Amino acid sequence: MTDPEPSDPKPGDTAASETEEGDAGLALERTSLSWTRTALSFAALGGVMLRENVITGLIILAVVPLIWRLGRLPRSGSTLGGLPTVGARRIRMITVSIVGVSLLSLLVAVLGPSVPGALHR
Amino acid sequence: MSRSGRFAAWWPGGGADPGEGHEPDPRFTFANERTFLAWSRTALALVIAGLGIVQLLPPFPRVPIGRHLLGVPLIVLGAVLAIVAYGEWVRNQRALRRGDPLPRSVMPWILAATIAGVAVISAIVLLISALR
Repeated sequence: MTDPEPSDPKPGDTAASETEEGDAGLALERTSLSWTRTALSFAALGGVMLRENVITGLIILAVVPLIWRLGRLPRSGSTLGGLPTVGARRIRMITVSIVGVSLLSLLVAVLGPSVPGALHR
Repeated sequence: MSRSGRFAAWWPGGGADPGEGHEPDPRFTFANERTFLAWSRTALALVIAGLGIVQLLPPFPRVPIGRHLLGVPLIVLGAVLAIVAYGEWVRNQRALRRGDPLPRSVMPWILAATIAGVAVISAIVLLISALR
């Protein structure tokens, strides 16, 4: 059995955490950008929905700044050297938002008026 | 494990003491969060695709419900992916806290199976609509 690479940190490896604080900062930035991309995805869906159902589209677009803001809120439970940790609440909010948006989309898809052949025009 | 036990382990704070274990390396926590967000964007893309198919594609000749056959499963898969992604985030975060190996993800399997299913339905709908 070989020893793990010294540069291969394990969860709770305090020595690795102490030497990688800079990387944790970049991880925070990457995660913030990921939240921004998610907000843009919501905006794309809202834009598509605006064509079909204005009210539903506006509801989804109204969620966009909330999602963007969620990614920038200070994180709860800072226990490791003041570094932020994720809270389950914002993850749950995203999940609920996507499920709600999916249900709205399903209603619009099944009951809403369609524009057949719009992609051909 | 019983069904209620599995649900309790999946739901945050339901099956185990939320304060158990130790705070994981923040990089792992952030990576887990980014993975969840990537799956969320995949779910949203599926919803957009399903909505576009139902609302914008021209109707298939001889298959009046063809667009719904293709689009509705994609929208439903979007909702399912979002829920499963949340469960996976909880399981991964719990494993990180305990120092356990990360659990195997079922999401690629769900995504691959559903996309393969939609591809088969697409082929069937296209074949039927082409047989005029």
